Amino acid sequence: MAAPCRRMAARSLFHFLSFSRTAGGNSGFRQFSSTSVHRATLQTKSVTEKASSPWTLMAAVCLQRLPVISADCGPIERKFRDMMLQLELEKSLLSDHELRLLEDAERMSRKQADDYDSDEEDERGDQEIVLAQDLEDSWEQKLKSFQPALRVTADADKDLTSLERCLADSLLLVAEQQVGGEKLWLLPQTQWQEGETLRQTAERALASLPAAGFKATFLGNAPCGVYKYKLPKAARTESSVGTKVFFFKAILSDSGPPAAPNAPFLWVKKNELQRYLKPAYVMKVDRFILDL
Amino acid sequence: MLFCFVQLQVSVTQQACVLNQALALCRATPSSQHPVWASVSERQYKSMPTHGIGRWRHLLPKEAPKKKKDKHQMKEIMAETDTTYGTLNVKVSGYDMTVVEHYSQYIHNLCNRLGIKVAESYALPTKSTEVMLMQEQGTKMYVDAVLKTHERVVQLSRLDTAVCPVFMDVLLKNQPEGVELSVKEHTEADFQARFKGRPELEGLIAQMSH
Repeated sequence: MAAPCRRMAARSLFHFLSFSRTAGGNSGFRQFSSTSVHRATLQTKSVTEKASSPWTLMAAVCLQRLPVISADCGPIERKFRDMMLQLELEKSLLSDHELRLLEDAERMSRKQADDYDSDEEDERGDQEIVLAQDLEDSWEQKLKSFQPALRVTADADKDLTSLERCLADSLLLVAEQQVGGEKLWLLPQTQWQEGETLRQTAERALASLPAAGFKATFLGNAPCGVYKYKLPKAARTESSVGTKVFFFKAILSDSGPPAAPNAPFLWVKKNELQRYLKPAYVMKVDRFILDL
Repeated sequence: MLFCFVQLQVSVTQQACVLNQALALCRATPSSQHPVWASVSERQYKSMPTHGIGRWRHLLPKEAPKKKKDKHQMKEIMAETDTTYGTLNVKVSGYDMTVVEHYSQYIHNLCNRLGIKVAESYALPTKSTEVMLMQEQGTKMYVDAVLKTHERVVQLSRLDTAVCPVFMDVLLKNQPEGVELSVKEHTEADFQARFKGRPELEGLIAQMSH
């Protein structure tokens, strides 16, 4: 396993990463912008010792869509939140707007009184025209005319191929690929080729997915997990004992054109992984997927 | 009874003798051995084996006298190596100060737990943005709201490449609403931007150089 590790370490590359969770153009995605500051050219050292290992190397990409809306609070969390809001309200001081409301109310009551002398008032011509109460009423009107989007769309939740499902959880991309003669559901992977780093292999795996223009930001040059399996005894030869798959984490930044309905992709949550992936595979993959 | 009485008297006189001796010693050698102690009017039982048992200030390293006009020195910017990133600035910004501050505290605590060294943690000055709306019946704009953008920076000195994807994943999954996160390399320009300009000083220097 000499070649890829050394080259991975030699590559120094840094991206400017900026993520914003404010109102963005693309519905359902966080704004991502990443620019690479400098790319050190890969030093192609003359590899003197080429230990040909019997393992085939593959790199897979663990593409995640981050949650779009915040998760709902549980019952205890709701009670605590209500209690904290009430505490803060009782302990807080009056704001400028509330003080103005009180002053206006007082001035109105003084105006209603019989012995009202407008010359005694302070010069506040501006505030007599636009009362604080009127401002508040106009703000309430604007709030009523605002329609927030629906938090949960029941139909989309059940459709496993749509990206809009389960907006409060993070989803993982699972693809159906041909592996040694049978079609299996697994994280998109492809074989490592000479002369490229494992991360480039993972990027290639993502780009080579049929009919999907996913744009992703890779989180680092180092893999986050590994899975190895030995071929059944019948298929083993001198040069191939089995395969080692290295996983790289990536965050989805743009989904591109909508995929065809028959595309072999699924967006699943962490607790739904067991239905599709093999048990031994799931055990290794579970370790690095965070379900926060 | 008499016997005890005599003993008591003897012990009292013995104590008095000891006291006298100690005082005599004290007055005899005030300045030669311990010049510092001479000015202090404390009792020093130098004959006691435990004399000076509580002294600790002489064990501390000597500190250089602090100069008052110390310019703020920039901490060294770490360079990238093969396995670690250099000095990074994790900037958190948003409109709601409590959320922004809590998130930056969360990042700091996370770094402490993961063993990532935090070089500095500071706040950049607040920027106020006035939102102006056009009036319905006219061309004049009036002030609708004032939004304040708060920024907090957590500066990491070294980030291991193996820890980086895990760290970024946790940060992204815990990002609260309305908060922007950005990770950049730290440059000298970033450091200088924190200081206020001094136009009079610059004017005088320009005058001097002409």
